[in-house]
Amino acid sequence: MIRTDSTLAVQITSLNKWYGAFHVLKEVNLTIPSGSRVVICGPSGSGKSTLIRCLNGLEAYQQGTVTLGTVRLGDNARETALARRQTGMVFQNFNLFPHLTVLSNCTLALRRVLGMPRAEAESLARHFLEKVRIPEQADKYPAQLSGGQQQRVAIARALCMNPRLMLFDEPTSALDPEMVKEVLDVMTGLAQEGMTMICVTHEMGFAREVADQIVFMDQGSIVEQASPMTFFSTPTHPRAQSFLHTLLH
Amino acid sequence: MQFDIAFALSTVPSILSAIGMTLLVAAVSCVGASAVGFGLELIRRSGGPGGLFVRFLIDFIRATPVLVWLYCLYFILPFYGIRLGALATGMIGLSLYYSGYLAEVFKAGIDAIPKGQAEAARALGLGRMDMTVFVIAPQMLRNIAAPMGNYFVSILKATPYLAVLAVPEMLGRAFDIASDTYRYAEPLTVAGLIFLGLALLISLAIKRLEIRLLGPTAR
Ligand SMILES: Nc1ncnc2c1ncn2[C@@H]1O[C@H](COP(=O)(O)OP(=O)(O)OP(=O)(O)O)[C@@H](O)[C@H]1O
Ligand SMILES: [Mg+2]
Repeated sequence: MIRTDSTLAVQITSLNKWYGAFHVLKEVNLTIPSGSRVVICGPSGSGKSTLIRCLNGLEAYQQGTVTLGTVRLGDNARETALARRQTGMVFQNFNLFPHLTVLSNCTLALRRVLGMPRAEAESLARHFLEKVRIPEQADKYPAQLSGGQQQRVAIARALCMNPRLMLFDEPTSALDPEMVKEVLDVMTGLAQEGMTMICVTHEMGFAREVADQIVFMDQGSIVEQASPMTFFSTPTHPRAQSFLHTLLH
Repeated sequence: MQFDIAFALSTVPSILSAIGMTLLVAAVSCVGASAVGFGLELIRRSGGPGGLFVRFLIDFIRATPVLVWLYCLYFILPFYGIRLGALATGMIGLSLYYSGYLAEVFKAGIDAIPKGQAEAARALGLGRMDMTVFVIAPQMLRNIAAPMGNYFVSILKATPYLAVLAVPEMLGRAFDIASDTYRYAEPLTVAGLIFLGLALLISLAIKRLEIRLLGPTAR
């Protein structure tokens, strides 16, 4: 049975995915209420990226269902497209469009997808650039910014589309250590405003402080799911224990 | 027979009067070849039976001499009731022929764009068309300005092939003068130098474009 409760942001049921013969996601079940902050962690290759990419249509899957809000992905093309559009994604490598200014990076989808007039799109974009604390960089090109600034632009670009859910795939992994904090601060601010967030990250400080659920994956399965308190103090799965051990030492 | 500079100079106005035709053929063929080549590359990338056919077509085009295309279009199409003028046939022939080469250039230009660009576009909800026009094509152009310019020069240099269809372009005019005066060296040299000048102009324009494209936006 599929519940389509609008207070649920994401419902993943019996999700299975294969790359050829390789079973990359195994019977993944996950329920994420609106407004919650989920941190997904686990060893490299455990399927974290693949899982969140299934949520916004960047990856296809062979079995199971993904429901965003009240829309089950794949049932109806129009609704699926709308649900995806309302899901923002921030990538490890920022993926800003290098040939467009910061401002145009933010306005492109507003104008082409939502058909918003230029002036309105630009003022909205400037609002979100202000929010990520780089309004003064609006007319620069991505290559002229530091990594941390680029990632904040990427967050602003996603926020412009008024997402109901934000996905982050290791947003600070490509950053120099001194820039990690400025990005995490923006993310923490978003969380405090009630944004539903799913973050793949190894920033355990952030997880402890901001997450209300930690999901630990290993070899394509969710092997542990707990509150940060429980997860960090008394992890039950041996892989989670050894993972935390290596992170903390 | 000595090279007669005075005679060479006297042929310049007459040969230059055909430069308009040469430039028209070259410009239309460059645009046509780019448009068709880009279309072919998009179909090839989309896979499926259409993609397979285009893959074959591009290889076929590149394995055939351009003259064969011009003759085919000019002498065979009329059998099927399609009558195009010499000029139109020539421009279509050059466009189709060079589209095969430009498709390869576009392929390299698109392959060099990081996968994350298309993913970011999709994550923002951009449709296929918008993504192609606003995200992929501009970055592709940046990657391929130089090789594309080389093919534009090749197209310019291929315009004399249209002589076989009696299109009055520059080299044809030079030959007319030669056969009227029995002096070949002078008119052909003049035509050659004009072609050289035009090719240099195109290269220069492409260089400038490349510098502009790469300017402050370089990755
Ligand atoms: N396109 C693909 N084709 C085949 N196998 C793939 C593909 N993409 C990912 N994989 C494999 O699927 C597994 C899960 O990959 P995924 O990127 O989801 O891992 P991850 O948990 O995000 O790892 P990391 O921490 O290194 O980012 C890996 O073993 C990877 O090699
Ligand atoms: Mg990953």
